[in-house]
Amino acid sequence: MLPFAVAMTDLTHIRNFSIIAHIDHGKSTLADRILEMTGTVAERDMKEQLLDKMELERERGITIKSQAVRIAYTARDGQTYQLNLIDTPGHVDFTYEVSRSLAACEAAVLLVDATQGVEAQTVANAYLAIDNDLEIIPVLNKIDLPAADVAEAELELHELTGASHEEILLVSAKTGEGVVDVLEAVVGRAPAPSGDPAAPARALIFDSEYDQYRGVIAYVRVVDGHFARRQLIRMMGTGQQAEVEELGFFGPDMKPAERLETGEVGYIITGVKDVAHVRVGDTVTDARRPAGEALPGYKVVRPMVFTGLFPTEGDKFEDLRDALEKLKLNDAALSYEPESSSALGFGFRCGFLGLLHMDIVRERLEREHDLELITTLPNVEFHVYLTDGTLQVVRNPAEMPDAGRIERVEEPFVSASVIVPSDYVGAVMELCQGRRAEFVDMKYLSPHRVEMHYRLPLGEIVLDFFDQLKSKTRGYASLDYEFWGYRESDLVKLEIVLAGQPVDALSLIVPRERAHARGRMLVEKLRQKIPRQLFEVPIQAAIGNRVIARETIKAKRKDVLAKCYGGDITRKRKLLEKQKEGKKRMKQLGVVEVPQEAFLAVLELDAGDQSR
Amino acid sequence: MQPRDAFAGPVRHVYVHVPFCAARCDYCDFYSEVVPLRRAEGGAPEPAKPAASAPLDRFVDAVSTEWELERAAHEVHGVRTLYFGGGTPALLGVGRLERLYQAFAAQLTAHAEVTVETNPDEADEAFAVWAARRDVRISLGVQSFLPRMRAALGRRPAADPSAAVRRLRAAGVRDISVDLIHGIPGQTADDVDHDLVVLADLAPDHVSWYELDVVPGTSLARRHPQVPSDDERAALYRQVVRGLERLGYRWYEVSNFARPGRRARHNVAYWRARPYLGLGPGAVSTVGGRRWRDAADVADYVAALDPSPRDLPSPQDLSSPRDPSSPREPSPPPREVESLGRETLARERLMLAARCGSAVPLADVRPVLDPGAVAPLVAAGLLSLHSGRIRVTRKGRYVGDEVCVRLFRA
Repeated sequence: MLPFAVAMTDLTHIRNFSIIAHIDHGKSTLADRILEMTGTVAERDMKEQLLDKMELERERGITIKSQAVRIAYTARDGQTYQLNLIDTPGHVDFTYEVSRSLAACEAAVLLVDATQGVEAQTVANAYLAIDNDLEIIPVLNKIDLPAADVAEAELELHELTGASHEEILLVSAKTGEGVVDVLEAVVGRAPAPSGDPAAPARALIFDSEYDQYRGVIAYVRVVDGHFARRQLIRMMGTGQQAEVEELGFFGPDMKPAERLETGEVGYIITGVKDVAHVRVGDTVTDARRPAGEALPGYKVVRPMVFTGLFPTEGDKFEDLRDALEKLKLNDAALSYEPESSSALGFGFRCGFLGLLHMDIVRERLEREHDLELITTLPNVEFHVYLTDGTLQVVRNPAEMPDAGRIERVEEPFVSASVIVPSDYVGAVMELCQGRRAEFVDMKYLSPHRVEMHYRLPLGEIVLDFFDQLKSKTRGYASLDYEFWGYRESDLVKLEIVLAGQPVDALSLIVPRERAHARGRMLVEKLRQKIPRQLFEVPIQAAIGNRVIARETIKAKRKDVLAKCYGGDITRKRKLLEKQKEGKKRMKQLGVVEVPQEAFLAVLELDAGDQSR
Repeated sequence: MQPRDAFAGPVRHVYVHVPFCAARCDYCDFYSEVVPLRRAEGGAPEPAKPAASAPLDRFVDAVSTEWELERAAHEVHGVRTLYFGGGTPALLGVGRLERLYQAFAAQLTAHAEVTVETNPDEADEAFAVWAARRDVRISLGVQSFLPRMRAALGRRPAADPSAAVRRLRAAGVRDISVDLIHGIPGQTADDVDHDLVVLADLAPDHVSWYELDVVPGTSLARRHPQVPSDDERAALYRQVVRGLERLGYRWYEVSNFARPGRRARHNVAYWRARPYLGLGPGAVSTVGGRRWRDAADVADYVAALDPSPRDLPSPQDLSSPRDPSSPREPSPPPREVESLGRETLARERLMLAARCGSAVPLADVRPVLDPGAVAPLVAAGLLSLHSGRIRVTRKGRYVGDEVCVRLFRA
């Protein structure tokens, strides 16, 4: 039995903390080690990345969804503390998850890979923690590796957090060295929660999960008062009332309890099925003795990147809708609305936080829901001001109004920070210049590492900016960005015309000065991707009625098997039947058969663009 | 006239598969067994070991028996075409060939086309004399008149193919077809021109000129990883067609060319979906809605058709141990049977017609036709549509497979 089955833990013996880190700096390994060393998880149940429950998370070695776990730790002072560890994602797409988790904590372990030093998300996460008034416990990880440069990394951490040499802990999450010091620091340096046990109950919903049998499971941090089973509660934002069916904590599986006390972290199940009624960021209170004021919530997460998702088989539209509905239950940031394309049929225009998010949703749709999908080019949300004074929001390039009706177009800009060894400053500058970026400033984190700030269109980032950045800096650069605002840009719609027919799914919105280059590259890519047909197929790129690039796929000159005698007839017929079957994977656009890969051709554009 | 139902009616076409070769050619995927040859100076080739000749005799007997069984089982009228393919039928030697021929002689019509395949090596004087006497049509496997190209195909050094043609002509053979291959690794337009020049000189009555299909994984593919591009092969193909047409041959099927009146009537029967019987291991028959293939194993074949025990020595590579419990009555060899439904037959009809550029009434293929596919193909000049009949044009014939795939309903 775990010691805190003794349900009451004095407020002064509770510590709520997160581990925040740049991706791959060893967050999940440190969490694993803590769970193991505190006996939270029996040795036989131990596995790597224990808190990452999703198959995808484990496979890719990333954390997508926050997890909370309660740990009993008997410190060197002889007393047993209740530690609530909230694991957070490390990728920029999921920064909002980090900020939500931090609001439920008093301290954050800022973990830095000693072989890498401070990275962009380290900085972003550190600022998030500072904004949330958290105690930061700086930790250098991977000190067992020969490539670890503790002195340099320490210097950077000092620059970032002001922490002294003594305050920076050295650990190897892999070997377990120093991990106890981290727990001691949490106990010793992190403040105890400061709520009022006697006040009307208030808890912050910092995350939620949908269970098809039990309904919404709200992850909560109790701020004041307490919650108990059977209690009638109210969501202060939505007004939804419900009775607590079950509450408890994560250990790391759900462990039911009688009460959740002030300062504790756990879950509440009410049987409410509609996630919209149990919103993340809302405050739960006692319905009979409600609190006067809700806790500060979160900004509503808005998708930044949009793409069309179409089932390759037309009759799978309903299946896709069901699958998206299910994913949406656990993913508030995902949005979708039906869309129809003359090229691809019926599908959805989906909104995502970023490319990783898109990739993950797409992969889950294909894997968990057995769907085969075509994805169109991701784009941002454009604000198009028309000559009649109205604003049209464009998430699909095909919906771009005619140039004559447009007064101006605005696109979202982000402020981005890039951290890079000073040797690569030139390479980053060159890359950013090609991406319409505006230089803001730059500062040295240490003699060898520089943090550069830019303002650039999000649309320039969503394709392959990160890949390019990595390849131009030999993997040393790290990137973080946040939404900055909308700004006017000179953008045009580039249309692709295939054998005389415009293909809506291939159109894109591009900066005017790059329209010609993009157009040329796109038609060239399509020429490579579309196999030769019985007919000559002209491919054109056009802005309005003006053709700016053209390629031609020559007609097939020979496609017939040489021999067909008595014994060959069956074999040959089957071959043709099989070829016919194979055509199902092609999209028929007029007389042209287009393989699905061709729709991804646009995705490969920017890689080529950079070589110019 | 095309019969309304494919492969229906009495059988008038017979194919005999003779599955023996002196060596395997690595581009060939027909069933055959290798029989090592011994060749006396100037004389007929004979199997190197006397013991190897027994299976050849038993094979001839087994084919005769299968023919009797099939005649009893199907409505067989006068045989208009008889084709001995292989393998290398000439390898049987004149004596056995004559015996085999006699098994069918009584059923042959007055102007029946009888074809025997052979390689230049086996087309010796004795064979030529026999062929002339029986007024047999000869299909000669030349592949290329250039020794360099034959070597690229992995063929054993062979007698001069031109000499073989002259020998056959001199003996009085009236109908000669030559088999050639284009698209051989390393083959240039000049090489094809060379073959065309030799053809102009030899003036065979018929030419089958196939494109080489380098099947991945075969020794041929391993020897020649560099295959010519589609465009290069398409160019050679067009050169072949144009070259032969200039020499007066008509392009009547994807790979077949004939002087007027000299089409291979046997093969034309396949392409017009006439019922045919195939005898011998690996041979395919199609009668009505049924198609079957005799098991491609000469030992099993002989054992089924000739179950009586004999005291002849049998080399183990050609005959299996006799099962004492096997029936004593001759029975058909093991067969793989396929039944052909209406739609399958309609798709074959379309496919075969596309290869020959013959017209097909739309009504006959409507259930398998994608109605939307016709107009764009007609517009592109690949298909013609007149009085309710579609026909793949000459231009369409080069891409006939793709045309069919487009025409097929999904």
